[in-house]
Amino acid sequence: MSVKAPTKSPFTPEQETTLAGWTKRYPHSNLGLVEALRSVQGWHRQITPEAAARVAEVFDLPFNRVWGVATFFPTFTQWKTGRHRVGLCHGLSCWLAGSTKMESCLEKTLGVAEKTTTADGKFSWETMECLGACEQAPALQVNDRLVGAATEASVVKLKDLK
Amino acid sequence: MTLVLTKHFAEPKLHELETYRRLGGYKALEKALGLPRAAILEEVKTSNLRGLGGAGFPTGMKWSTVPPEDKVPGPRYVVVNCDESEPGCYKDRVLVERDPHQLIEGLLIASYVIGSKDSFIFIRGEYQTQYEILEKALDEARKAGLVGKDILGKGFDCDILLMRGAGAYISGLDTALLETMEGKKAWPRQPPPFPTVAGLMAKPTVVNNVETLSMLPHIVENGGEWFAKLGVPKSGGTLLLSISGHVEKPGVYEFPMGVKLRDALAAAGGVRAGHKLKGVIPGGTSMPPLMEKDLDIALDFDSVRAAGTFLGAGGMIVLDETADAVEVAHNIERFLAHESCGQCTPCREGSFWTEEILERVLHGDGVPADLENLPRVGENITGRVICALGDTVGMVIRGYMTRYPDDFKKRISNGQKG
Amino acid sequence: MAKRVKFKLNGTEVEADEGRLVIDAAKDAGVEIPHYCYHPALGNPGNCRMCIVEVAGAPKPQVSCRLPVKEGLDVKSDSPAAKRAQASALELHLVNHPLDCPVCDQSGECGLQDYYMKIGRYQSQVREDKQHKGKRVEAGPHVMLDQERCILCTRCTRFVDDVTKTHELGIFRRGHTEAVELTPGKVLDNDYSGNVVDICPVGALTDRDFRYQVRVWYLDKTDSVCPGCSRGCNISIHTNTKRTWHNQGHRVARLKPRHSEVNGYWMCDEGRYGYRPLDEGRLGKVLRLTPERAELSWEAAAVELAARLKDGGSKGLAVAASGMLSNEDWAALKDLFPAAKLYFTAEPDQVGAEDALLKRREKVPNLKGAEALGLKSGSFDDLAKDLESGKVSGLWIVERDLTKVWGAERAKALIGKAGFSVFQGPNKGGTGELASYRLPATAYAEETGRFTNFEGRVQEYRKALDPIGSARPDHEIFGLVKAALTGAALEAAA
Repeated sequence: MSVKAPTKSPFTPEQETTLAGWTKRYPHSNLGLVEALRSVQGWHRQITPEAAARVAEVFDLPFNRVWGVATFFPTFTQWKTGRHRVGLCHGLSCWLAGSTKMESCLEKTLGVAEKTTTADGKFSWETMECLGACEQAPALQVNDRLVGAATEASVVKLKDLK
Repeated sequence: MTLVLTKHFAEPKLHELETYRRLGGYKALEKALGLPRAAILEEVKTSNLRGLGGAGFPTGMKWSTVPPEDKVPGPRYVVVNCDESEPGCYKDRVLVERDPHQLIEGLLIASYVIGSKDSFIFIRGEYQTQYEILEKALDEARKAGLVGKDILGKGFDCDILLMRGAGAYISGLDTALLETMEGKKAWPRQPPPFPTVAGLMAKPTVVNNVETLSMLPHIVENGGEWFAKLGVPKSGGTLLLSISGHVEKPGVYEFPMGVKLRDALAAAGGVRAGHKLKGVIPGGTSMPPLMEKDLDIALDFDSVRAAGTFLGAGGMIVLDETADAVEVAHNIERFLAHESCGQCTPCREGSFWTEEILERVLHGDGVPADLENLPRVGENITGRVICALGDTVGMVIRGYMTRYPDDFKKRISNGQKG
Repeated sequence: MAKRVKFKLNGTEVEADEGRLVIDAAKDAGVEIPHYCYHPALGNPGNCRMCIVEVAGAPKPQVSCRLPVKEGLDVKSDSPAAKRAQASALELHLVNHPLDCPVCDQSGECGLQDYYMKIGRYQSQVREDKQHKGKRVEAGPHVMLDQERCILCTRCTRFVDDVTKTHELGIFRRGHTEAVELTPGKVLDNDYSGNVVDICPVGALTDRDFRYQVRVWYLDKTDSVCPGCSRGCNISIHTNTKRTWHNQGHRVARLKPRHSEVNGYWMCDEGRYGYRPLDEGRLGKVLRLTPERAELSWEAAAVELAARLKDGGSKGLAVAASGMLSNEDWAALKDLFPAAKLYFTAEPDQVGAEDALLKRREKVPNLKGAEALGLKSGSFDDLAKDLESGKVSGLWIVERDLTKVWGAERAKALIGKAGFSVFQGPNKGGTGELASYRLPATAYAEETGRFTNFEGRVQEYRKALDPIGSARPDHEIFGLVKAALTGAALEAAA
């Protein structure tokens, strides 16, 4: 694998502008790093070494530090998520409310195993730790929105997403 | 009963500045900006306000450890910890989405006392809706001269910056939160120095929870003594519980500090119909459960501690008789192993080992030695690690094994649910 | 000056500088507290939790690598509670350790083995499968990485981040899924990469050069000084003479840095792996090559050479030496050749890259020793001119391969123009065939001597190996010739 500082940026000019913006948002550029990586995850649906290497350049940080952050946080993936990234909470309250059943329901309905993306790139699903919606257990997160009190029906309804 | 934080929750558009101000919002800020900073600090001390993010540390005492500007010149920061991620805890989410200005007002008061010109709200990334609510609220406040330069014409400058996390539970621990903010892995620091002395970018930094800061306008408005009287000795004010699990009406409820467990349960409709109480996790899944015999204990930091567990962040999960203690313990230990940051060995290895042993036991392959080994491993983690996450790995397994020994014995002797 | 204070260690009163870390103060007092992550040159992240001690009045045990000494502190590292805490930390380090000691080069010098025998000795309770990670990751030209053996102490990542600032390694992912790994696209090939092997307390980072060569308990260790440049890094020569059929027959198994003010804890890869030519083309016999090839005794050679010196006189005599010589050698050289023209500057054959950490431009250890004796070097260009014009009656070459200075053809031609020539050194090199006499000298590892480093610091290096054949240290050779010379003079006078 060769990921030496890419000569061509893996980002569009607009994306480069956004990244540069994160370096200026806070009193110190480093404070924008996690937000910048959130943007990258949003654009690429994953964080590749090439993308992280470019972010390291933009932030003037060692690449191993940026790669450490990119592999540490669960929001960031090193596999390409679906356009719709579905998270199923399996924290205790959601588990008590039957999240295990919802796992098989997601697998059956979307037709892929956990952390796998459908062939058309539309969906992927994964279990997530507590989403902070225990009163609406079992909770689902679809992209960055909460879908509370998930049922088999609400999972089937995911398929209507564009 | 006096409601403090949720008093206006029935108002449909409470999250809008106009509604908030109509109901008296930002009056406390105006009052605060006319008072000497030391006077507000004294009120906060008098109020017996304690950190409501889990640790229960007295807020006034925390603030007074920030070195004065003449000793340590340069910037200082206030950071709102809105990274609640512990299973069972969701009160901060509700506070932010229903009443963002209450938090902003509280943050501004704290920033005034501490002398912070740049304050932060660090919110967990999963709370995108709440992030947007805060963004909008801050916009409104900025336009109304409540945030930014020369706030309310009183010569105080303070900007508030939003920042999102990226899905790690450990980021909710103050020093790991600061590391995350600085663009590093969320590996907790080991004080000393404490963040109030060297926090964000090594500058004095106060990290306070959403609920704690949301209390401030009310303390400034009504006085520390008033607030102290709402609670119990050494812990003033009210308490938000986010209740979930096997109850009829899960949700966020506000009680006077020291409410009886029985009454809190009743407010949430009690154990779900047709079932019996097995235990109540008082403060989030890191805290071992209270039992039926504990129904009359008072829910405040010190009383819950005396009962052998912790009030934590008030994330209450009710378990009925259908919950098997081995499965519950496995669910929690799996969570902790997943969220262990990996920095120190006992937590990294011990949490995963505990999860694996429990997994084997759940599959019916337990051996009698596991009954000795599980709590032993736990004991070898707790108190010997860098941060509180590791401590809870041992606390949880020991907590469930001592409270529900039969569930474990049955599972190990015949592979059956207890 | 730090204030001296008294504190209690395991019940005994100990004095130490205020603020010194307890783990260091204990070591000063002869008490080793177990540890993996702490390294005096790499900081105290406190992540291994091995150095845990009991502190009177503290609610829970403390890690001694983050505990500063203060007056009246009462620390116990050997109480039952402290020992239990240390043993349990060790147990957790071993839960996922593969225990592949029989095939691990670290065996015999492994922190896990050592502490298990010291403070462990328990029955394993692990019934689960071990986690699997990368076993044979080629981290770089010199270093092999085994992620399963790694205990994630972060010493190596701190080294590449803080010392070399090259960032080739990182700890990626988190919790039980984390591992030390190469930063994507990078190779651990910085000039100091071998040091990560030294600082790795377990068998996760091993030396590819040393891999599977010889068990460490067969090695002998001798204090020495690296001859690779004028820094004079303090080293330890690890020799394999007990199991000669191992290590592919090589006598030196490896070089390790030795802590000192000169080099801290480190040495460069150039120095570390620079031992290999030591036994290449070694000279063991005293030979006359021309006009008539013959093996001579040292005495006979000394007499012959003394006669040549008298013939040629010291006028017209040139000595080509090198900064490889010890202070003793330089002194004897000066004594033997008081009027000869000397040539010993570092030419392109003996200069190389330098850096801000340790590496110096002159790739020989002891030019300073010659300078300290007031010896002056002419330029090799002038020597070539003098040889060319036949002004050199005799050329004595000491540990210098002139083919590397002038090129093989030119060196051959030039040396041939001297009235007579001597080559003296441990290795034959290109010059060994060109002189009329060939005298075997010991290599630095076979003698005890002193080098004066670029700062003027005189440092002793010790004999680690026996000489090859009849080889003798340069200064002894000079002494023999000198004796023959004076003896002859006395004889003549009689």
